[in-house]
Amino acid sequence: MSESSSNDTRCAYTYAFFLIRLWLGLRALFAGLEKFEKGGAYSFTAYYENMGRMASGITGASFLPLWTTRPFAHSIGYLLILVGVTLLLGIKTRLTLLAHGLLYVALSFGLMVVQEGEGVAWLGMHVILAIGGLLLMQHNRFALVRD
Amino acid sequence: MSDLSSSPLTRRDFLSTSAKLGAFIAAAPYVARGADGTGSDQVNVAVIGCGEQGRILINAALKIPGVRFKAVCDIWPVNRNYAENILKKFGHDPKPFEDYRELLATVKDIDAVIIATPDFKHAEHTVAALKAGKHVYCEKLMSNTVEGARSMVVASRETKKLLQLGHQRRSNPRYQHAKDKIVTGNRLLGRITNITGEWHRAVSADLGFPVGKGLTDAKLAEYGYANMHEFRNWRWFKKYAGGPMSDLGAHQIDVYNWMLGVNPRSCMASGGVDYYKTHEWYDNAIAIFEYPTKEGIVRATYNVLTTTSAGGGYHEYFMGDEGALKISESPKATKLYREARAPEWEEWTTKGVVAAPLSGEGAPPAVKPWEKVGVKKLGGPSKATVDVRETAALSAWDIPVTLDKAIHQPHLENFFDAIRKGTPLNCSGESAFATAVTILKINEAVAAQKTLTFAPGDFIA
Repeated sequence: MSESSSNDTRCAYTYAFFLIRLWLGLRALFAGLEKFEKGGAYSFTAYYENMGRMASGITGASFLPLWTTRPFAHSIGYLLILVGVTLLLGIKTRLTLLAHGLLYVALSFGLMVVQEGEGVAWLGMHVILAIGGLLLMQHNRFALVRD
Repeated sequence: MSDLSSSPLTRRDFLSTSAKLGAFIAAAPYVARGADGTGSDQVNVAVIGCGEQGRILINAALKIPGVRFKAVCDIWPVNRNYAENILKKFGHDPKPFEDYRELLATVKDIDAVIIATPDFKHAEHTVAALKAGKHVYCEKLMSNTVEGARSMVVASRETKKLLQLGHQRRSNPRYQHAKDKIVTGNRLLGRITNITGEWHRAVSADLGFPVGKGLTDAKLAEYGYANMHEFRNWRWFKKYAGGPMSDLGAHQIDVYNWMLGVNPRSCMASGGVDYYKTHEWYDNAIAIFEYPTKEGIVRATYNVLTTTSAGGGYHEYFMGDEGALKISESPKATKLYREARAPEWEEWTTKGVVAAPLSGEGAPPAVKPWEKVGVKKLGGPSKATVDVRETAALSAWDIPVTLDKAIHQPHLENFFDAIRKGTPLNCSGESAFATAVTILKINEAVAAQKTLTFAPGDFIA
């Protein structure tokens, strides 16, 4: 393989990783922010209403007690925003990608227990992308704080 | 101690006391009813005809306070025993009778009679009960003949006793709301031009009877039946019934007349026994009516099928130039539609006349219990216009009134309220007569294979 060809490949991997990081970062950020929205307005009141509904909905349709679903629901929005921002800025990206993947595994678990197959598949795509990101981690560029 | 000799009983005192005593004796049964905790609102009832429909009416009436079943009558012991037993379970003690004449002659403290016998017996039973001084609730269709129906109205008029016919949709609060607040009251449908209606039922086997429980030929003949098969399946035979238009269509075509407030001026029809080998009455029939309303002609079709439940079950569909009402006893088959050209209906939601659907057609996409409410979801690909002549789609709405009782209960309540309080009947003999005339004309039109007309006088008993 020639040097220029090898450079092209590295460059492609770099762009690929950047796209994954950008997508996952934006996705996590806005997934977190939308949890604060109700009727077009953003507030902490709306957040706890939305998340309260989520927690009681999952509890009502599954074996998970409210004392497990409520703390998760009340923290998930903040965690998604944190993960989204850190991914976009490139802060401890390996750790952040792992955290992102774990958050979406946890969300998938919530839908698994209520037998929401389509939702599980949709969330599973996020996990697969996080895995892809971890595999391409060596091509991480444009990061504020390296691992 | 008072000196009785010093206050001799005068003739006036004697008469006064005797009159009071007599009045007390006459009122004793009613005083006794009050004493058993049921109050003076108690209505003593007998049921003549304890088959399928009789049982439905019994079950509905059992839920109405103050109704006391005193007697049941059916020529078939199977039906009679069933009714007697179920009433005993609910604390009633009805006397069983085979012959209605014996019932009417024997049980004197009956106020009202519920009649649910085959159509050809309605007139005989109703007239006898009315002449015995009882109020009557009789199942529809009034009779399988116009003469029979007329005799019932005449007997009610002559005896001044109440006669209610079992077109129970007229007492259904959803139908009443639709008539008073949507069709007539606020005219949300605009100018009604067309009505369609149908009742489609899947194929059903003929009814049999338990071995050893059949009536003897002599007993059947005594009461007018040819044999046990015809007794059990009387609806399919012309001698006993008015056919599917009478059994099913009568309910819905009654709603046409009632909702429009007029009777039809003509009827054409087609029908035949296309499927069954054991029926005399048609299993597939279509009727077309013209209604001369103040705003113009309304054309109405009605289709009854006893060979399929396809096509939407049973409903009446009133179509106007500003809206349409699809209404049924089944809430699931009820929907209201606004034409795109009609004024918005938001003001009618605030007034409780219509409601934005929360489920079913016209409702926003369902939100899972854990999902955030109010998220606008992307729809699928927009529906391509198949034909440029298509007009704008109707918006779907609901009627914010539901019936939370058995469907016959409000109609029976209306009947008992009429007895107790003088509440107007929702379906008196006079108005039901017009429906009977309308229905029986369909059978004439099927046989004649041509358009038949009504004279206004035809609808007056």
